[in-house]
Amino acid sequence: MMGFYFSRLVEIYPFFLKGLWMTSKIAFISLVTCTLIGVILGIFRSGNNIILKRIVGVYVAFVRGTPFVVQIFIVFFILPDWGIQLDAFSAALLAMAIMGSGFICEIVAGGIDSISKGQWEAAASSGLTLTQQLRLVIMPQAMKVILPPLVGQYVLLIKDTSVISVIGVMELTRVGWVTVVRIPEGLMVFSLVGVLYFSISYPLILLSNYLERKMAVQ
Amino acid sequence: MLVDFNFRIIFEYLPLFLTGLRSTFFISLVSISLALVTGVIACACRISGIKILKYPAIAFIEIIRSTPLLVQIYFLYFGLPTLGLRVPEIQTGIIALMLNSGAYIAEIIRAGITSVDQGQLEAGTASGLNYIQRMRFIILPQALGVTVPPLLGQSIVLVKDSALLSLISVMELTRCGQTMTSERFMPAEAFFTVAFFYMCIYFCLKALADWSQRKLIFREAY
Amino acid sequence: MIEFKNVNKWFGKLHVLNNINLKIPKGEVLVICGPSGSGKSTLIRCINRLEKIQNGEIIVNNTPVHDKLTNLTKLRAEIGFVFQQFHLYPHMTVLQNVMLAPVNVKKIAKAEAKKIAMEKLEQVGLTEKHGVHPAQLSGGQQQRVAIARGLAMSPEIMLFDEPTSALDPEMIGEVLDVMVNLVSEGMTMCVVTHEMGFARKVANRVLFMDEGAIVETGTPNEFFDNPKTDRAATFISMILTH
Repeated sequence: MMGFYFSRLVEIYPFFLKGLWMTSKIAFISLVTCTLIGVILGIFRSGNNIILKRIVGVYVAFVRGTPFVVQIFIVFFILPDWGIQLDAFSAALLAMAIMGSGFICEIVAGGIDSISKGQWEAAASSGLTLTQQLRLVIMPQAMKVILPPLVGQYVLLIKDTSVISVIGVMELTRVGWVTVVRIPEGLMVFSLVGVLYFSISYPLILLSNYLERKMAVQ
Repeated sequence: MLVDFNFRIIFEYLPLFLTGLRSTFFISLVSISLALVTGVIACACRISGIKILKYPAIAFIEIIRSTPLLVQIYFLYFGLPTLGLRVPEIQTGIIALMLNSGAYIAEIIRAGITSVDQGQLEAGTASGLNYIQRMRFIILPQALGVTVPPLLGQSIVLVKDSALLSLISVMELTRCGQTMTSERFMPAEAFFTVAFFYMCIYFCLKALADWSQRKLIFREAY
Repeated sequence: MIEFKNVNKWFGKLHVLNNINLKIPKGEVLVICGPSGSGKSTLIRCINRLEKIQNGEIIVNNTPVHDKLTNLTKLRAEIGFVFQQFHLYPHMTVLQNVMLAPVNVKKIAKAEAKKIAMEKLEQVGLTEKHGVHPAQLSGGQQQRVAIARGLAMSPEIMLFDEPTSALDPEMIGEVLDVMVNLVSEGMTMCVVTHEMGFARKVANRVLFMDEGAIVETGTPNEFFDNPKTDRAATFISMILTH
């Protein structure tokens, strides 16, 4: 019996590859947008503007304080209620961007805060503008603190894309869910799904560990 | 938008939400306790130096950490019945949360143990303590303090992770939101209420984690 | 060149600058001393607006420093600042440290900026160290690089905030020598320091501060040999017994 199901699974493997492709696509777009927004928010969060700092603080508290699945439901069900129509794919990307940028923001702010105030003052004293201070003096140093946890966060974000299956986007987990209805071999189907996720996230975990060791040495 | 936010309906559903909240509490509490046990065992195996224990522990930790929790939940939910095991959804969910958080906790504890200064171990060895005694009297008391803040962080993660059990129809907080949405189609009221309750739990645990972190910094300063 | 008019500043309830009036003409070397917490560092940090003031006015080269409309980057480019803790950029080489502001603030071409930077490094006696990172230098060498970095913008004023306090005793001399050379070039300088030898040798004026106020001023010899106030006398006897 298992052999029979296994051969059926082999038959429909392109279906899984499509899911893997979709997961990779969502993950890639999300990581890029999350990083961009996260860096900007992180700069606000560590900055001197109290109002911006507070606003970002509330945003981060919401993102970190509620489950991602609830955030997806809010984006997917409530925005249309408010007149913003989104297909599942865009809603997924939007939810990922909101969630991921909140987490990355904290990592970036932590990195910037780890740089001593004297570095800002030295850069300011020689006449660099605020943007130049950040770009030329602060960020290059902060990157060493930011990079290892950032890559670690990327792994978490890639895994979180699985939750997007709840609004019907045909990514890897959704493919597994649809398949298991037709081929009732849960262990086999989700092992396969798991192996495919593993192939994306494990190299990144190794990279994160490597970066952490390397930065610790410096 | 928020102008026509219907508070009456929230009050009407409040008993349901409170049951959900209780269920989320229960699931989280049981799962984190079991995960702590799992984590300690997995960590002990990993650092034991005995190959037959070490490699399975490493495999377990790495597999869990590189696959999504939702896939792990589905793996058990759809997989256990094919093995002929009929397990209620809530127990399936708790097992998944236990294994998932257990793997992360194992790494937290390991980081705590490696953070203890090597000289401490040597001092212990020099005064003639054996392995178990060194662990018990020197390493663990010091490691324990360091692990408290990240363990509380992990419990924050676990509470939020328990929301995924709604997808295998466990009646917890998020599932209540889904129920209310399907009965009345008021997703804003439903999910903002759900979010509110999660935020309350989050702030309590966060305050606790920050407090333990401060205590720790204070202790290290002296 | 630099003028303080009725300047007041509070940190919370603490009155760190108490009604400061001060004129520093071009080419003057002013040494500021006083017990810790007397507001002397705060005073010079206000000159390039690293600190804000609550009332009064500071004018540098006819520019009101604390006016909202003042072009802060332009003002700061004309004032060199040397910190107690050096604050070199650890991710850059010595040469890059010195070149950073000329290239990015003054928009000088890299080759030209490099030439200027090497000149300034020669002035502090560290040309051969131009390719290393700050972490590989001794404290005294780091502080000399920091001075070269300040000079690279060809400022008219140099401010020194306890430049030798973080140094081991045997390195103080090399830094002071560089500063003495600067004096001979006619640089306007404000130096917060307790180095009496330096003050006697090059300062035009010594300013003694306590509890946020200027208690007395005078020539170095006047001040160190015949202090007018008891507070100054106590302070001098304390740094002498050290």
